[in-house]
Amino acid sequence: MLLGVNITRKKLVYILLIIGPLVCVVASLFIGRYPITIADVTGVLWSKLTQNPSGIPEKYYAIIWEIRMPRAIVGALVGGSLAISGAAFQGLFRNPLVSSGILGVSSGAGFGAALAILLFSSTSYVYLFSFVFGGVAVFLSYIIGRVYNTTLTIMLVLGGVIVSSIFSALISFIKYVADPYNQLPTIVFWLMGSLASLQFKDIFIAGVPMIVGIIGLIALRWKINVLSMGDKEARTLGINTALYKAIIIAFATLATAGAVCVSGIIGWVGLVIPHIGRMLVGNDNKVLIPTSLSLGACFLIIVDNLGRVISGSEVPLGILTALVGGPFFIYLLKTTKGGGW
Amino acid sequence: MAKVFVQGAGFGYGSQDVFNEINCKIDSGEIFCIVGPNGCGKTTFIDCLLGILKLNEGDIFLEGQNIKTMTPGEIAKLISYVPQLHEKTFPYLVKEIVMMGRAAYTGWFSSPSKEDSEIAESVLDMVGLGDFKNKPYTQLSGGEGQLVMIARALAQKASVIVMDEPTAHLDFRHEMKVLETIVKLVKDTRLSVIMATHFPNHAFYFENNRIPTSVALMSDMTFSQIGSPSNVLSEANIKKLYNINAKVVSYPISSDTELKQIIPINSNIDSGTIA
Repeated sequence: MLLGVNITRKKLVYILLIIGPLVCVVASLFIGRYPITIADVTGVLWSKLTQNPSGIPEKYYAIIWEIRMPRAIVGALVGGSLAISGAAFQGLFRNPLVSSGILGVSSGAGFGAALAILLFSSTSYVYLFSFVFGGVAVFLSYIIGRVYNTTLTIMLVLGGVIVSSIFSALISFIKYVADPYNQLPTIVFWLMGSLASLQFKDIFIAGVPMIVGIIGLIALRWKINVLSMGDKEARTLGINTALYKAIIIAFATLATAGAVCVSGIIGWVGLVIPHIGRMLVGNDNKVLIPTSLSLGACFLIIVDNLGRVISGSEVPLGILTALVGGPFFIYLLKTTKGGGW
Repeated sequence: MAKVFVQGAGFGYGSQDVFNEINCKIDSGEIFCIVGPNGCGKTTFIDCLLGILKLNEGDIFLEGQNIKTMTPGEIAKLISYVPQLHEKTFPYLVKEIVMMGRAAYTGWFSSPSKEDSEIAESVLDMVGLGDFKNKPYTQLSGGEGQLVMIARALAQKASVIVMDEPTAHLDFRHEMKVLETIVKLVKDTRLSVIMATHFPNHAFYFENNRIPTSVALMSDMTFSQIGSPSNVLSEANIKKLYNINAKVVSYPISSDTELKQIIPINSNIDSGTIA
């Protein structure tokens, strides 16, 4: 009993999942290398809300509003996108071991980014190239998966593996020919993933595909249950499997490619967050898909905050996600006994 | 009007014919057993009935509509499917599995409604699994799992259920449970059941339970005979179909019922003698 209302554990979980990402975004405004007191952060937020001047230095406004805020919002979108498309792909491919990168989007995007850095020696075309090549990689996997004129699930996975390995080889080739003093470190850092130096304009560029993908997957989430019964059964249950698969792959690719192009390659989230979701709310994608979205968003913001306070220089996100997430996953596995797994 | 009407059906992969010139019709409240050796094309024929494979020749009509012109959703409202062995992936709850039977009634961007949830619970009660609705279906026994599959098919509210060897992996008790459930459903709801089976004795079981039962013998790439179990499942036919020696025996199980059974003897048909 809380406030005279009977709140079950289930409802409590849902409430936490809804307010969790908001709390994480706001909390991360208070965290960073530059020391700003809690009172000042609150003052900045208050004056932004009320449109009143506050007498707090302009510099603080810039740090909180133009650095920390966009970073937190993009972090939430990236984490949510990776986790939601990971959950969708796991259901679609009937395989709990696939992640958002299963159809080659990560290696395709990585190749695009590396190519852009090699060609232009700057990061200005990285978004465009990584987004386009992420999409191209998935499209190629899909074409390979259609050799028999239908989209057999196993052929799609095989197509993804083949395309991923081709693009990984191409990434290695670009690293090999890149200038080792300027380009190579940029490429390596990009591939490790980071949310540093994000601005509001990034939200508008990469946010559109992420939000479209997220909305699409949420709308189709229950159909993923049916597709996870396998091609033949899903079809006899009345689903046009080829069409639904193509649309779900398209939405998941939009979300993932949007995420990868701003953040670089961040592993782990798209594989393990959906499993954490299953332990909390079960396997029904009707609930699991939104849960993964929320958990992924919270997780990435928290890890990103850790990454920027843990040491003098920022620890790349791709490293921390697994270092922080791994032990957390083991803890949950122990306390929930896997929830039916 | 026949629930299912098959006319001159033929199918093949490339130049390799699987079956041809199949004709049959299945009425309301009838059980239609397809019997034949491994690899004779039973499952391929079933896939054609379900609209997964497209016939090369002939037509299939479901309640008068040609299946060629129907979408998967329209087909699923008329004919449902119970697989031979359902491959379990995620540990969905029993009720979540049964709800998937409502997919054909669910719009593009929607999830099942409260009404669908009530239908799911009522069909679970019909197969006697009402108490299992909140259990992960991966934790059920093989027989219970098969009943969940039947409940999912019932949730489709189709008037024909196709079953591909529904008792293939079950022990005696669970096999009986599944057969009894089928008999009850056919009697109570006038459902039609099309069943591929390796156990011709099932056809005798249905006949003994006073259900209109037909048996189709599938051999030489077609239905070589269709008729009542007593007429079609003769020692001579079993010998031809499976290449074995068998006896058909009759045993009184109550004052007014004789249970017929096929007993396989040996595969050495050249010896010509049956003990």
